[in-house]
Amino acid sequence: MSAPAAASGNTAAATAGTPGLATQLRRFVRREPSFALGLVLFGLILLIAAFPQLFTAKSPTAIDTGSALRAPGAEHWFGTDEVGRDIFARTIHGTRVTLSIVAGSMLISALVGGFFGLIAGFAGRATDMIAGRAVDVILSFPPIVLGVVISGVLGPSITNLVIALSVVYIPVFFRIARSGAISESGRTYVEAARSVGLTERAILFGHVMRNVLPLILVQYMILFPLVLQIQAALGFLGLGVQPPTPDWGAILEQGKNYILFAPWISLFPGLFILVAALAVTLIGRGLQKRMDR
Amino acid sequence: MGAYLVKRLAASVVTAILSSMAVFLLVRAVPGDVVAQMLGQSGARGSAAEESLRRFFGLDQPLWQQYLSWLWGVLQGDLGESWVRGRPVAQMVVNAFMVTLQLGLMTLVFATVIGVPLGLVAGLYEGRRIDSLIQGFNILGLSAPVFWLGLMLLVVVSQTFAWSPPLIYRTPGRDLGQNLEIMLLPLLSLGVLQAAAYSQFTRQCVVSAFSQDYVRTAVAKGLPMRVVFFKHILRNIMIPLVTFMGLILIQILGGTVVIETLFALPGLGRLLISAIETRDYPVVQGALLLVVFTALLVNLLVDMLYHVIDPRVRVGG
Repeated sequence: MSAPAAASGNTAAATAGTPGLATQLRRFVRREPSFALGLVLFGLILLIAAFPQLFTAKSPTAIDTGSALRAPGAEHWFGTDEVGRDIFARTIHGTRVTLSIVAGSMLISALVGGFFGLIAGFAGRATDMIAGRAVDVILSFPPIVLGVVISGVLGPSITNLVIALSVVYIPVFFRIARSGAISESGRTYVEAARSVGLTERAILFGHVMRNVLPLILVQYMILFPLVLQIQAALGFLGLGVQPPTPDWGAILEQGKNYILFAPWISLFPGLFILVAALAVTLIGRGLQKRMDR
Repeated sequence: MGAYLVKRLAASVVTAILSSMAVFLLVRAVPGDVVAQMLGQSGARGSAAEESLRRFFGLDQPLWQQYLSWLWGVLQGDLGESWVRGRPVAQMVVNAFMVTLQLGLMTLVFATVIGVPLGLVAGLYEGRRIDSLIQGFNILGLSAPVFWLGLMLLVVVSQTFAWSPPLIYRTPGRDLGQNLEIMLLPLLSLGVLQAAAYSQFTRQCVVSAFSQDYVRTAVAKGLPMRVVFFKHILRNIMIPLVTFMGLILIQILGGTVVIETLFALPGLGRLLISAIETRDYPVVQGALLLVVFTALLVNLLVDMLYHVIDPRVRVGG
């Protein structure tokens, strides 16, 4: 009842005493430089993923055998590959492909793992038992090995890559959601909701879920760089996105055959993976520091 | 201790059996088995040749029967024969495992020798410049893709020293020099990542130890920093540091899949990938089984170690 009033009162008090936006920004950068760097890098990467045409006019798939294996220069900033495709254009256009595969498969893992984790943690008993064993089995494989087997057995394609990546990380979200639901189910508000006659389903998805969601979000941030690396590794093994579609891992796979004559084919997409992983890691650390405070 | 051990062991056995079923079903869950690959495009589908080949490989039997006969063999140490190369799977898998194990242990030593001291220094000087530097190394090391690091090392080494690793693998017993030469780049590329991970973890341990009561007490009663660090902090964080080794070992087991393929090391990861490509089920099953069992065993050891050191740890959670 009094919560909204208190909240708005807080904001009013906060705005009254706060300096301008620019000063705030400068303070933030000085206090948390790595968090700020992560945000800037990530913003740039998102911009590239959303509007690749802004960054390059060249086509990522146009073949030009006349200018094959050119070193980086004014014409081709990142050089060209063995059939003369522009590596800069391929890397830029690959951003959206790679990141949407990673983000999408993680979303599936989070939804499936989170859903079953909530139920297992809240309802317990049989559900918990069965889901727990299934999760143990998946966890008994090192992630990349399971990824290799699933995508290798199903055959290389984007769909199968997404299936492989999401299966591998379902257990992580399952465990987080489960332990979150367990600790929430002992809280007073759950008891109160029960006493006013809410159904178990309403309590779980209306109240408990809302409190477990932040945990899942943080886990998403922590896992993102790892999944990106595995996505790239599978692409590198030829089990991911197939050429000519540009994808960071797939460009690296193609570049490894020319590594000593044309290292630039591999250098730049690898750097993009590094920067993307770095950006998300820095943001994740920044967020965690704030939550701990 | 006894009851805990039995419970923990039983849980591992259940997981192992379920995992072996998963392994078995996984490789059979899709169209395009070895027979289809052998017959290829020749259009011999549904012919007598296909049927007799299926019978030869035992693929005409129901799945559960295939599984049980395979499991029976496994229990006797017989993993079957490779459908493609005709050699006993157990021998192929163990030979490959030795290569992976050597790389894994070398990486573990590298990661410990580099990572732990870096983490200790960073934790000890929390918030200073040296801490930021080490943390920078950690984050970069964890962000760089392992195989990309391997590729870049290859380029740098071959262009500055005019040296490239030998192409043919030799066991350490046969030619130690060549063995180490071929292991060098895989070791470095895997090692940097794991050293970064270990250093990050060590730093966290030290930092959290500093906020604990026993350290505050030790500092408050005027003990010199050197004594507090070596006698109190180091002794207490030893437990998590040792158990973290198990985690690293499992990670390396996965990480070698890509690195072995890149550097043409005949390890378990490379064997697995080539067997998947040729649909050589017995080899895929054998290799996966070994990976899963190793991971389970390491986990079990870590848990038991934890239990021995701290009896409050219970099963579950």
